[in-house]
Amino acid sequence: MNPPAPPPPPAVPPVVLDAVALGRLRELDPDGRHGVLPRVLTAFEVSLERMLGQLAAELDGGRAEAVGAIAHTLKSSAASVGALRLAQTCEQVERAARSSGGTAQRHDVERLIAEGRAALAAVQAMLRP
Amino acid sequence: MNTPALSAFYDLPVEPEVLLVDDDEVNLLLTGIALRERGFKLVEAPGGERALALLRENAPDVIVLDAMMPGLDGFETCRAIRQLPGYENVPVLMLTGLDDDASITRAYQAGATDFFVKSTQWSLLAGRLHYLLRASRTRLELERSKSKLARAQDLARMGSFDWRRGERGERAGLLLSSESLRVFGFGPNERIGLRSLLRMVPQDERRSLLRQLHDALRHSSVLATDAPIVLLDGRQRIIHIEAEPDFNEHGQSAGYTGIVQDVTDRRQAEDKIRHLANFDALTGLPNRRQLIWRAERALEHARRLQHQFALLLIDLDRFKVINDTLGHGAGDELLVEVGRRLRACVRHSDQILEGAIEAAGARSHRALEAVGRLGGDEFVALLPEVGEDADAERVSQRILDALREPIFVGGQECFVTASIGVAMYPRDGASVVDLLRNSDVAMYSVKSQGKNSSAIYSPQLAGRGREKLELETALHKAIERNELVLHYQPKIDVRGSKMVGAEALMRWKRGDKLVPPGEFIPLAEDTGLIVPLSEWALREAARQARQWQQAFAFDDSIAVNLPSRLFERSDLVEHIHQCVTAVNVPHRVIQLEITEDNLMKELQNVIPSLHRLNEIGVEIAIDDFGTGYSSLAYLTTLPISELKIDRSFVRELGITPQSSAVVTAIIALARSLGLRVVAEGVETLRQMEVLHRLGCGVMQGFLFSRAVTAEELQRWLEQTVLPKKAPWIAAVANEPLVGGTAASAGVRRLR
Repeated sequence: MNPPAPPPPPAVPPVVLDAVALGRLRELDPDGRHGVLPRVLTAFEVSLERMLGQLAAELDGGRAEAVGAIAHTLKSSAASVGALRLAQTCEQVERAARSSGGTAQRHDVERLIAEGRAALAAVQAMLRP
Repeated sequence: MNTPALSAFYDLPVEPEVLLVDDDEVNLLLTGIALRERGFKLVEAPGGERALALLRENAPDVIVLDAMMPGLDGFETCRAIRQLPGYENVPVLMLTGLDDDASITRAYQAGATDFFVKSTQWSLLAGRLHYLLRASRTRLELERSKSKLARAQDLARMGSFDWRRGERGERAGLLLSSESLRVFGFGPNERIGLRSLLRMVPQDERRSLLRQLHDALRHSSVLATDAPIVLLDGRQRIIHIEAEPDFNEHGQSAGYTGIVQDVTDRRQAEDKIRHLANFDALTGLPNRRQLIWRAERALEHARRLQHQFALLLIDLDRFKVINDTLGHGAGDELLVEVGRRLRACVRHSDQILEGAIEAAGARSHRALEAVGRLGGDEFVALLPEVGEDADAERVSQRILDALREPIFVGGQECFVTASIGVAMYPRDGASVVDLLRNSDVAMYSVKSQGKNSSAIYSPQLAGRGREKLELETALHKAIERNELVLHYQPKIDVRGSKMVGAEALMRWKRGDKLVPPGEFIPLAEDTGLIVPLSEWALREAARQARQWQQAFAFDDSIAVNLPSRLFERSDLVEHIHQCVTAVNVPHRVIQLEITEDNLMKELQNVIPSLHRLNEIGVEIAIDDFGTGYSSLAYLTTLPISELKIDRSFVRELGITPQSSAVVTAIIALARSLGLRVVAEGVETLRQMEVLHRLGCGVMQGFLFSRAVTAEELQRWLEQTVLPKKAPWIAAVANEPLVGGTAASAGVRRLR
């Protein structure tokens, strides 16, 4: 689901998933028997890809409400897998979207997509090193 | 690891089921894993619509809802859940963001039980869920116990109420629970004020109830009372009210809380029990207990107010005869009717009086006036205030008059009379026990003087009573002490100048005194001692017959007098059989005499015995013939052998012409029926001659011999009869007898 003409994304440094958050996930399945970590990362990968697609559709004259909702959902799952910068960005974008009403700031959407892609790369790197 | 312990601590289902609703797959997955790890069973839904669909299939113990979801969000989903039947009270936990105050408020408004800020601290979430489950369980139990209470109150016809004075902005007035509304016959949602309730209480009772309410209010005291009410549909109920005052922080009474209960059934049962305990089941009159209670109250009043009161003991005459002949059913019927008539003779009050009398004023003792049944055929009339003896006598007379009319029971008319003994307080006794005893003495004096009358107690009566009691005690021992003897009066065949039999007469040698039969036979009949006495007499007569047989070849019979009640005994024949076989004499040595009165009164009961006696050779004579009312029709069929002309006719012979007419008639009757005839009480030669002339040849009387001992009789036979030395023998010898045929001796039987 790649958009036909992706705009140049803002430059973001590569993402490293937070060790504390990952540790918390590993605690749920200490000996890895249930494959909790890969299952969670896979679920995150799937939903993140879907949401990146949805965000791309909101770049031009995007609806603040839709962007806010995506940011809200992404916020807690990003925090869960340790994509802390993405979670932080989600929170800022969600708040901005709620206060702006009407249309979403293109800048915000772009930022969210850039952070999302960085996090996706990190997750994919962990899943398929 | 600590999950089982936690679950046990909260007393929750072993694996509580959680419905987790979140649109974020990552969260759903993570939360699911974390909660499963902590002992929950999970059902996951990615959105509100799916959650509602799942709830229709399966009921979780708790629901966790993400607030922000695309489509149906958490709030709307929560609202929809609350609309589902059965989900009104299921705990719902709403997941919100940390900084989202508005969502928290909205969550509660949508019906969420609680909120929880999303975090990855899973144990906090698990703890919160446990808390919710426990609260929900507690709430459920509360609901259950509330409905149990309602049900229990409903069964007990009970309900609670709350009444406020209305101070400090509180709402004043009465609040009835739906159960109490039901007690008063209203629907659960009706609003009923105190005033309307009071209007349901009948006017008279309302006044006293209001007084009680005011008293309780004034003293802030506990209220416990019963009130009669009339429901709107007209049913009458009795409501028990019990309430305690509530106090505010200043210690002032703020209102009352309490219960109302319909106690009509209980009260009716209590009344019934009280009635059974105080009233005679047969006649419905006060029983012994109630009578004595009333008598004691009457006595207290009489003592305090210095007046007299009278106790009348009423005992039916010959009730036993009615009971025995017509059966107990008829006896009971008779008692009921007698009770009814007696009641009409006094100002009878049926009120149950226990404790209530003191409050009812100075003349309240009038309510004690009553007729009651002491037991058996004994009744008591209680006159709580009488001026003089004549007052009590007037009531006695009224009672005797009331019984004069025949009573129709058991298919026939019965004539009942009573003997009444009167005792007056304080003259005839200072206690109820004394009064009862002395009225009994007076009553017995009436019985002994012919019954059907009344008497007032006097100390002389008591003396006589004591004598009688002593006599009765002594008579009991007379048989075992061998104090009884039989005397014999010969029956003489005048023409043959010989003895043809003897009548045995009972005597009682009490110390050195000989008690005449008139003094102890009636007593023996009253007390039932007549049975052993008579049985002894039969045994003794048989023994004597044997002894005379050996001494002078006695071959006649000895007549023994028996009361009818002995003829009614089925073992009489057997007893006689034993008496004669024991001494080896034939049955015919015993003859039985029954008075005409006795025979006719008990005819139906006696006839079978007469036949059986006759079959074994024991002959029957009718004593005192001519004085009673014999049914001639019966005489022709009864198995009797002898008529004994009553001494009253014999005494008048030669003095009034009527007596000889009666005697002539009796002799003619006997002859035509083929019966022997014996004249009793012959004292003069003239009487003997007239009887002989009229055709009666067998006689008894002082002219020949009084009743003497067996030895004296034997001596008399040897020294007077055999040598033909008596004046009557000479008279017969000199008299040319009229119609002097063998038939006149009457010994030949036609049948």
